[in-house]
Amino acid sequence: MTEQISPEILHETIDRLPTSREIRPAIPKTDDEIIPLWRQRLAIFSHNKLAVASVVFLFIVTAACYLVPWLHPTNQTNQAATFNIPWNQPPSWAHPLGTDSSGFDELGRIFYGGEYSLTLGFLSGFITIVIGTVYGMISGFMAGFTDTVMMRILDAFLSIPYLFLLITLISIFGRSTTFLIGIIGFSLWWGNARIIRGDALLIRNLEYSQAATAMGAGKMHIIRRHVFPNSISNIVTVATFSVADAILFLSALGFLGLGIQTPQTDWGTMLQAGSVQIQNGYWWEVFPLATIFILVVVSINYIGDALRDAFEVRLIER
Amino acid sequence: MLNYILRRIAQSLLVLLIVVLVTFSLPYFQTNGIMAPAYAVLGTHATPANLAIWAQQNGMNHPFFVRFWTYLTQLIFHFNLGHSYKQNMSVWGVIALYVPRTLWLALSALILTLIISLPLGIIQASRRNTVFDYSATGTAFILYAMPSFLLCMLALDAFSFHTLHLPSSPPSGVAPWAIFTDPVGFALPVGCLTLLSVAGVSRFMRGTILETLVQDYVRTAKAKGCSNRRVLFRHAFRNALGPIITILGLSIPGLFGGALIIESVFNYGGLGIQTVFAATNSDVPIVLGITLLVAIFTLAGNLLADIALGLVNPRIRIEGNAR
Repeated sequence: MTEQISPEILHETIDRLPTSREIRPAIPKTDDEIIPLWRQRLAIFSHNKLAVASVVFLFIVTAACYLVPWLHPTNQTNQAATFNIPWNQPPSWAHPLGTDSSGFDELGRIFYGGEYSLTLGFLSGFITIVIGTVYGMISGFMAGFTDTVMMRILDAFLSIPYLFLLITLISIFGRSTTFLIGIIGFSLWWGNARIIRGDALLIRNLEYSQAATAMGAGKMHIIRRHVFPNSISNIVTVATFSVADAILFLSALGFLGLGIQTPQTDWGTMLQAGSVQIQNGYWWEVFPLATIFILVVVSINYIGDALRDAFEVRLIER
Repeated sequence: MLNYILRRIAQSLLVLLIVVLVTFSLPYFQTNGIMAPAYAVLGTHATPANLAIWAQQNGMNHPFFVRFWTYLTQLIFHFNLGHSYKQNMSVWGVIALYVPRTLWLALSALILTLIISLPLGIIQASRRNTVFDYSATGTAFILYAMPSFLLCMLALDAFSFHTLHLPSSPPSGVAPWAIFTDPVGFALPVGCLTLLSVAGVSRFMRGTILETLVQDYVRTAKAKGCSNRRVLFRHAFRNALGPIITILGLSIPGLFGGALIIESVFNYGGLGIQTVFAATNSDVPIVLGITLLVAIFTLAGNLLADIALGLVNPRIRIEGNAR
């Protein structure tokens, strides 16, 4: 045993274990058949039929959520105008998925709420990955004392249960849409930073980084040319999962009554309102939306899995 | 080893200090600042005179650092976490009342999760790409993608209103260990919490076992003529234990977070509901006390996981103790 593994490093190593499959050795190819990297990645990604289906499904749902409220507007905000429309009506020609407990058209509302859920999910997922990457890279690359301090600060925030932290913050700062995006991003970036930091720590100790240092490369150069490109697999994967987590997180907020404020709505708030009505047999207020919601989150997770395979260097050129 | 533990404990204490500092300074940023609880207690039309008296009584007229110092010294030397603004109880009283309730709920769900998901993950890994594996993975994916409250509401509808007629909420006003004396009452909340974590843990277990199955030592064991069962349990499972222990250590705050949704769906007075109530009512001492407590649990969980990791895996020797 020449080298001792500290538990911290082991944590991070565990975090970045690749998906399970047998790892095949890369077969060197002749110069004329070298395929660009992105096309190899695309090939690996599109080999996974489920992931391709997920991309198509996600695209259709996203497009519908942004376009349908605009192409075929239904009243979703004016409660005074719904007094004439019967509430909790089963599906009919006028309302293909019935009406909800306020008389709003359920089908139109699914798209209307989806616009908020998806926008918030994508934007706050993006925020988590930007903050997480920058923080993790600096911490892992600096190592030593800086790393210890930055990781202990992270520990402090990780040990405050995020739902509690979030409720406190929302009760302090109120909840506009912009604020919700920031607050969800702010509550979910810690985990990402830990994973990226593990990558950076591992890569900075690898031979090629040390060789670059020995040749006199600056810190920024090593981060830009070695650490970042080699941790891109985890960054992309973690980014995808962050979007799914953010959408789920927003739905939990909707359940607690801390989601988007009425008359606007999001999927979490709608599911909460609908799930109260299951006992009355108003299935159309829950199950169509629940199906779409679950499929959206599942397909984002599938895409994340496939992306991880596509960026896994050891699978390329097999 | 002892040296390492002591250093980790010292670091954890520093982390706790940061946690307290952050949570303590948050109320300064809300509307009305630290006087917000005064309006929650005295009402929105409180007279300036009453507000001044309240501020005097609660030490709000001191500067930040004096207040923080007082809080710390009270905490360290007198184990005093203060008094709730909203409920006529000390913070310790609230903690002593609600923590055991959440703890028993979360612990029994955790144990059930392990009992179900470890064997499930192993079976899935050893029968990879069979119908069983696919259906288990599919179920786990759906459970994982479902908002936790939706699962609870559907379970409530199915097993409480339509079939089985299980109690829709656990008995209240009973001892915290009622979970053992009246398991039927707790079947739904514990069952839902278990299902939610089984999805993640079993999937993780499957991945970890698969990861160990391609290692050289497993191939060696097979070449030596070990039976499949022996390879799976003696070689693969033992090596997969490390990641599982780490994940368990890290999952403690999630356990409390998950319990919050369960508690509010099944109307079970526990730590989660108390925190939401305190946070929405600016009851700062309660929020501080509970945050501190959960932080201690989390840090202790991480530390224990690291120590246990060294115990189950002889290849990891914590520094200063090389073999």
